[in-house]
Amino acid sequence: MGTLIVVLTYIAYVFIVVVYSVKIVAWLRMPPHIRWDLYPVIHEEHYRYGGSYYEQPEWWTKPRPRNTWRSLLYSLKDNFYMGEYYERNRLYWLFLLPWHLGFIFIITFHVLCFFAAAAMVAGLDIAAGSAQLAGKGFYYLLLITGGIAFVTGTFGSMGMPIVRLADRGLRNFSMPMNYFNYLFFLVVYGSGLLAWLFLDPTLDEYRTYWVGLITLTPPELHPVTILHIVLFDLFLIYLPFTRSTHYITRILAYFFIRWDDEPNLRGSALEKRILGLLQQKISWEGKHIPKGKSWVEAAIESGLPEKK
Amino acid sequence: MKKTVHVAEFTRLGGQVTELDPAEFIALPPPYDKMEKPPIRTLTDDQRKRMDTTLDGIVAVGLQPPATPEEEKAFIEKFLAGLEKLFSVEDNWTFLQPLMHTLEYCVKCQICSDACPVYVSSGRQDIYRPTMRPELFRRIVSTYVKKEHPLLRKIKGSDIELNWQTLARLAELAYRCTLCRRCAQVCLLGCDNALVSREIRKVFSQQMGIAPKEIHEKGSVQQLRVGSSTGMTPAALKDILEFTEEEIEAKLGRKIKIPVDKKGAEILLIHNAGEFIAWPENLEAFVIILDAAGVDWTLSSEIAGYDSINYGVWYDDVQFARVAIRQSQAAKSLGVRKISFGECGHAHKAGIVIADRVVAGDLNIPRESSLPLLEEIVMSGRIKLDPSRNDFPVTLHDPCNMVRLMGIVEPQRRILKKICPQFREMTPHGVENYCCGGGSGFAITQSTNFPDWRNSVSGRMKMKQVLDAFQDAPGPEVKKYVCAPCSNCKGQFRDMLDYYGAWEKSSIYYGGLVELIVNAMVDLKQPFIQWEWH
Ligand code: SF4
Ligand code: SF4
Repeated sequence: MGTLIVVLTYIAYVFIVVVYSVKIVAWLRMPPHIRWDLYPVIHEEHYRYGGSYYEQPEWWTKPRPRNTWRSLLYSLKDNFYMGEYYERNRLYWLFLLPWHLGFIFIITFHVLCFFAAAAMVAGLDIAAGSAQLAGKGFYYLLLITGGIAFVTGTFGSMGMPIVRLADRGLRNFSMPMNYFNYLFFLVVYGSGLLAWLFLDPTLDEYRTYWVGLITLTPPELHPVTILHIVLFDLFLIYLPFTRSTHYITRILAYFFIRWDDEPNLRGSALEKRILGLLQQKISWEGKHIPKGKSWVEAAIESGLPEKK
Repeated sequence: MKKTVHVAEFTRLGGQVTELDPAEFIALPPPYDKMEKPPIRTLTDDQRKRMDTTLDGIVAVGLQPPATPEEEKAFIEKFLAGLEKLFSVEDNWTFLQPLMHTLEYCVKCQICSDACPVYVSSGRQDIYRPTMRPELFRRIVSTYVKKEHPLLRKIKGSDIELNWQTLARLAELAYRCTLCRRCAQVCLLGCDNALVSREIRKVFSQQMGIAPKEIHEKGSVQQLRVGSSTGMTPAALKDILEFTEEEIEAKLGRKIKIPVDKKGAEILLIHNAGEFIAWPENLEAFVIILDAAGVDWTLSSEIAGYDSINYGVWYDDVQFARVAIRQSQAAKSLGVRKISFGECGHAHKAGIVIADRVVAGDLNIPRESSLPLLEEIVMSGRIKLDPSRNDFPVTLHDPCNMVRLMGIVEPQRRILKKICPQFREMTPHGVENYCCGGGSGFAITQSTNFPDWRNSVSGRMKMKQVLDAFQDAPGPEVKKYVCAPCSNCKGQFRDMLDYYGAWEKSSIYYGGLVELIVNAMVDLKQPFIQWEWH
């Protein structure tokens, strides 16, 4: 059993990293698009009221100050807060936020377990009563992140189907997969919560498990912890098939679509790319679009026979 | 309890997906809560026979039902072939990334629904949810473009069986969204349901040649053919400008020669030619201000060079590119240093922002809004202004294209705060404004009963905002002004204020920004704004 979970865990992590990367690279590799910015654009100087550089006469002769850090913080903040949901559907937010925090914290917990295990292999004693400060720190950090993950994840997974069924709009747009997800995730978090509360209150088993992973030694674990770990690995494999990449793509969409206000200046690299795209042939069949022509050629023609 | 409309109902043959009940629309303050005439005309039997009306009984596109099963099959196949093109880099690099993102990552949380003025104003009719079109669209893509396995489609709830009527309803539904993008603004996932409306319109236009005639045939096609969607030829333009010069002389007491095709001028002003006919005072005001401020400017008489409109921005990338290129060519042939767009929201967005990645090289002539220039003139003291001449309640409408979609928020406010002592904001305003209800071509769509829908549903939220902004003086005794620096928005206000009898009931009039500036100019003996214009 120990060998199985070591192998399964490695497969799960490699799988999720590869599939997520492929999806993100595919997203980023799509060609530049026509500008479709939407204000407020957070890196803009006047982002508070949604102002843009177009508010100045001869904007192209003026500097365009850009605060990328502000944009990054703004976009990341909503992974942890979800302000629009709080404002617009508080009941939904009440379950949605914990549900998402469950994801974030369970991943953080496992990443921290990895570092903790690596430190243990290097000789650090991780325990409440550890003589080493780092050992104590790790112990409590793991306890807090793991605890939050199990509690919020379980709470969110129980509440989400209820709120989805109770709300007319949400119910109408739900798909069977939504309910499967809630159930599956409930089992994942719930098993973790049970193992933590009743069998492993110090979360020692996870450290053992991660030491086993690092040293490639099959760990000896309680069956409920094993069950949770197997479920968690399946969860990692399943995640890329859901819309979960949105944790990342939503930020990409902010930066590369909603806040993309980069002007196409003469002689710029962007202009070169656009010129290339405009040379591509189009195959639209509307009568006003010439056959077999490129974008440029189609645009130069007026598209319709002259009036007799 | 309100009846829930499921996506599956769009595939049902016959019947109407939703029956609109004006009693469910959001309430307007008295006396507007009691309309004397029925808010939406019902169509005649003949119209119902000729056009598909099975979405909501309203017609914007009015597809004609196919005569034979073969015709129906060919129609569906052609549409599906077009749908595939939306996902190809060659045919749709222009919007591929934002489209794919919205289709893949919307979690259907419905948070955007309550941001939509059409949905809310209609009494929350499911068909107008921002998510309804994309959902129907997504299912068609899943079943017919991605050809996902039936089991997967069941799990994802994305199965659909297509028929002609579904597509007819989809086409209509794409024209129940004003593309105001208020829904997109609240989406935490960066999705944009307005874009999906536009992409649906695009497949119908670019692939099938289907679009409301006011937008295509009488719009962008007419502009490319004669120079303006109004049908105004360059010769007619000259006549109109002569008339404008006479009008200015009568008001100002001196003649101003309007510069046309002036080589090497600093600025080419591209104005919405519709103004020249419907609101000539707007052009007059521009001429007076630019002349008084000593600006070196010109108009163009080239095809598309004297009409700033670019309707392609609402429905067709190719038509869009054609007009954008011609506008730039007009500027290039005059050798101007920059193009400035007059008071027209969609022309701003189209000409300044969207065209940015369409025109390149020497056609990429700097383009800007006229509002910052006007602000500079007003604030510099180059023209003498007396704000007491504008001492009546004024509120500001924010055209979505100019404000939410390109971030020009404050110049117009700073001007109004300086020259209108009774200026007050609507709630909400700025980038959170509500569309006038005439966005994305609605203001010019006059066929059948669509104007009734536009006035009573898509414009209702704006009407409410206007009435609320003037609640301190609701009656007809006090004359009030809605400043709408956009020709399309003004078209909508003209129709909507008339529809609700707002002049008779409340003395509410509408107009542009430059009219208020000129009205405050001490040079004019008589007030420039004539309330009789209503
Ligand atoms: S577009 Fe955004 S806000 Fe609207 S349902 Fe989809 S995810 Fe939610
Ligand atoms: S763009 Fe505006 S009208 Fe269209 S769905 Fe979104 S909020 Fe509604």
